[in-house]
Amino acid sequence: MVLIVGIIATITYGTVGLGIAMVDDEEDTISPSELDEDERFSDPRVEQVGENEYEAYVVAQTFIYQPDPIEVPEDSEVTFYVTSRDVIHSFSLVGTNVNTMVVPGEVSSVTAEFDEPAEYGVICNEYCGSGHHDMEGMLYVVPEDEFDLTELSVTADDEVELGDDATFDVTVENGQLDDLETAIELEVGDETIEEDVTVPGDDTYETTLTVDSTDLGEGDHDWTVTVDDHTESGTLSVVEDLEDDEDDEDGGDDDE
Amino acid sequence: MSDATVNDAAKTTESTTSEPLGETYLDKFPAEAKVVRSALYSSFLALALGGLFGVIQTLHRTDFLRIMESETYYTVLTAHGVFLVIAFTIFFLVGVFTWAVTTSLDREVEDIRFTWAWLGTMTAGAAMAAAAILAGFTDSLDMSADVLFTFYAPMQAHPLFYLGLTVFVVGTWMAGADWFRSWFAWKKENPGERIPLPTFMVLTTMIMWYVATLGVATAILAFLLPWSLGLIDSVNPTLTRTLFWFFGHPVVYFWLMPAYMMWYVLLPKLSGGKLFSDPLARVVFVLFLLLSTPVGIHHQYLDPGISEGFKFIAMTNTMFLLLPSLLTAFTVVASMEHGARQRGGTGRIGWLKALPWRDPVFAGMALAGLMFAAGGFSGMINAGMNINYLVHNTLWVPGHFHLTVGTAVALTFMAASYWFIPQLTGKKLWNRPVALVQVVLWFVGMTFMANAMHRAGLLGMPRRTAEPQYDGFEYEAGVGSVAELDAQIALGGIILTLSLVLFFAVIIGTVLGSRSDEVPANGYADTLSGPEDSPKILDNLKLWFGLAVVLVIIAYTFPLLSIIERGGLFGPDITAFPQSIDIVSMAWLTVEQYATDTFTSATEVAQATIDGVLR
Ligand code: HEM
Ligand SMILES: [Cu+2]
Ligand SMILES: [Cu+2]
Repeated sequence: MVLIVGIIATITYGTVGLGIAMVDDEEDTISPSELDEDERFSDPRVEQVGENEYEAYVVAQTFIYQPDPIEVPEDSEVTFYVTSRDVIHSFSLVGTNVNTMVVPGEVSSVTAEFDEPAEYGVICNEYCGSGHHDMEGMLYVVPEDEFDLTELSVTADDEVELGDDATFDVTVENGQLDDLETAIELEVGDETIEEDVTVPGDDTYETTLTVDSTDLGEGDHDWTVTVDDHTESGTLSVVEDLEDDEDDEDGGDDDE
Repeated sequence: MSDATVNDAAKTTESTTSEPLGETYLDKFPAEAKVVRSALYSSFLALALGGLFGVIQTLHRTDFLRIMESETYYTVLTAHGVFLVIAFTIFFLVGVFTWAVTTSLDREVEDIRFTWAWLGTMTAGAAMAAAAILAGFTDSLDMSADVLFTFYAPMQAHPLFYLGLTVFVVGTWMAGADWFRSWFAWKKENPGERIPLPTFMVLTTMIMWYVATLGVATAILAFLLPWSLGLIDSVNPTLTRTLFWFFGHPVVYFWLMPAYMMWYVLLPKLSGGKLFSDPLARVVFVLFLLLSTPVGIHHQYLDPGISEGFKFIAMTNTMFLLLPSLLTAFTVVASMEHGARQRGGTGRIGWLKALPWRDPVFAGMALAGLMFAAGGFSGMINAGMNINYLVHNTLWVPGHFHLTVGTAVALTFMAASYWFIPQLTGKKLWNRPVALVQVVLWFVGMTFMANAMHRAGLLGMPRRTAEPQYDGFEYEAGVGSVAELDAQIALGGIILTLSLVLFFAVIIGTVLGSRSDEVPANGYADTLSGPEDSPKILDNLKLWFGLAVVLVIIAYTFPLLSIIERGGLFGPDITAFPQSIDIVSMAWLTVEQYATDTFTSATEVAQATIDGVLR
């Protein structure tokens, strides 16, 4: 009798803390040597797929995880898709039952709910070679207002001729499903340009900011582009005469 | 008050020997005694080395003493695992089984040369595997096998490792054949008689072993060995892993069965009574034969590529497998109680005091049984699928199996050695008090180590790692601290090592002693209810063998087919780790080159001759 109760109790008990589903054979197989061509794993990342629903594509290899750290918002349901580039590893959030083997050729999927901000160690608990004990990563569950899936990239001139416009091509990618209302701020030299933008959900916003180099004056000017807490920066040289390429290059080298 | 008198009575019986003196195994079977002795000595050697590695790794991972680089930890851990659970346990098993068959059939082995041949084969195999593992300690040899005892591909070992394991297993197959041969011969001379219980246990265990080893033999011979030799390029890691666990779970019972045998046939005798029930014992062994293989997938709850359904089937089978262990607990306790009452024990609990606790053989086995109960409990938790997600590959797991194989089995074997070594050498056990301290120390050490390991596992501390101390986070210890757990693990490890030292002192002291007349007679426990009470069908080994095969086919056909369908027989282009196979493929190339060269020059010579003749 005790035995039967014990058995039933053991079978039913579980899913405490984090609700999770079992790892099984739902996912298709994948060739470990072709991860770089795979839509999900060529760029390991977190993606939003629904309101409060996220997917994380994680690659394990000797002896690291990508991405690292992984960031997800509180109050979310996250499905991890994990595969290995080489030997068998595990993907284990310490102290939770998010714990799966990661087998080359297979994709493990585990879904977990994260209710509150927290930090979890991610470790490999399947022996994977001489550096096994160094294989660790982090998972941060951050407050909702600190979380975004924004990606900022800037292409800018290195050098402009005095009197020409310097251009900054700014791309803001919003990986979340909701619209992103924010501002792009460019600081270069003493100049500041701000543009309020709304980037639609799961979309990209592109803009070009221009600055008259006369306002900056001759010389090197550091610049930064800021969107929320993402920044990109570089240096712009304003020169008298672009034609004189050779000389300027030498001069440029000296500056560096 | 009556208790006191009982105690006194018990003491007087104990202080001499509780067993009658008489003809030892050595007297009766001198040739076999030599084989059994050699098997046990091999097993002790493995225990000594394994124990040494055990304490080294314990102190390393708890960060108390690090005498090596963390990279080397895995060589040590491989050696610890393989030496203890392959060599120590199985060498001991073949020794005990040889004793059991010859004693209970009351006949010599059919051909002692064959008996030596299988022991030699096993030893050669073990030596090969050991050489491949130990070579990992030096860089001067381009050989290593840092693959742990589970050797999961794509992790790759030197071919010598796989070859050694194969040879070793073939040796055990030959041993089984030897015992079956004895039984066939005996049956011819004793038609219609029931198989004596110890022989019955040996035969059912070996049938289980034949079925189970098919898995690992296939994994090694069809895939891993050719792959390590460079003959095939890739393997399917899920397939070889599944084939490993096809073998890996029943091997647990292979370790346990000789311990069970000791509990069934020696323990009641030592406690002065009889085995409670012969039929029940037979049922237990038949259940193990039937159920221990179709459960291996319970080691793979966390593997992708295996469906939930197969995992549930394995889990359900596993729960049934608890039954024979519970039956064992029941019979063994009942037999001990019978013994105690024979010795004058009374009362509900009081009878416990009448047991021969001062006899190290008895005390060791009884303590081992107690630990097994704890191990069974933590095992039941393991087997549930959800909890498994929490503890899989954490220290909980070694915590669990140091209770089962590391104590229930190992401590029973050590205690049994105190009975066997005198049987096999005709020498009296050197120093019973030291032996008694030894078994108690093992129990105490393991209590510390295993308990702390279980707790650390619940915090998520992984097993199989040189440095469970990470940079990014700390374990959230509920009660106590991680430092305290580490200290308990280390303390336990040191006590265990001390216990091992005492064990070897007693064994060596005994072996170096001189022949004595005071050795108890060879034999095993009688039964209260004998074979005549058990249905004849229990002895129908063909039936059980057939059923076991059917159950395995049911449990494994679909999972294996689906794994092959998903990943292919040879997997999706899997690269070996570490890539050290070049020596072998180079050797092949050289041989090939040489062959081609010889062939070419031979043709040239022939051509020249022909040319010359024609001219
Ligand atoms: C002196 C006594 C012993 C000590 C101090 C000891 C200690 C340990 C420790 C600390 C581990 C965990 C290592 C890790 O996962 O990082 C371990 C693993 C293990 N031990 Fe022991 N142990 C002892 C005796 C035994 C015995 C008697 C057996 C079996 C008969 C045994 C079987 C194993 C096995 C199979 C493993 C797992 C190896 C692996 O994960 O590949 N140990 N031992
Ligand atoms: Cu890893
Ligand atoms: Cu690892």
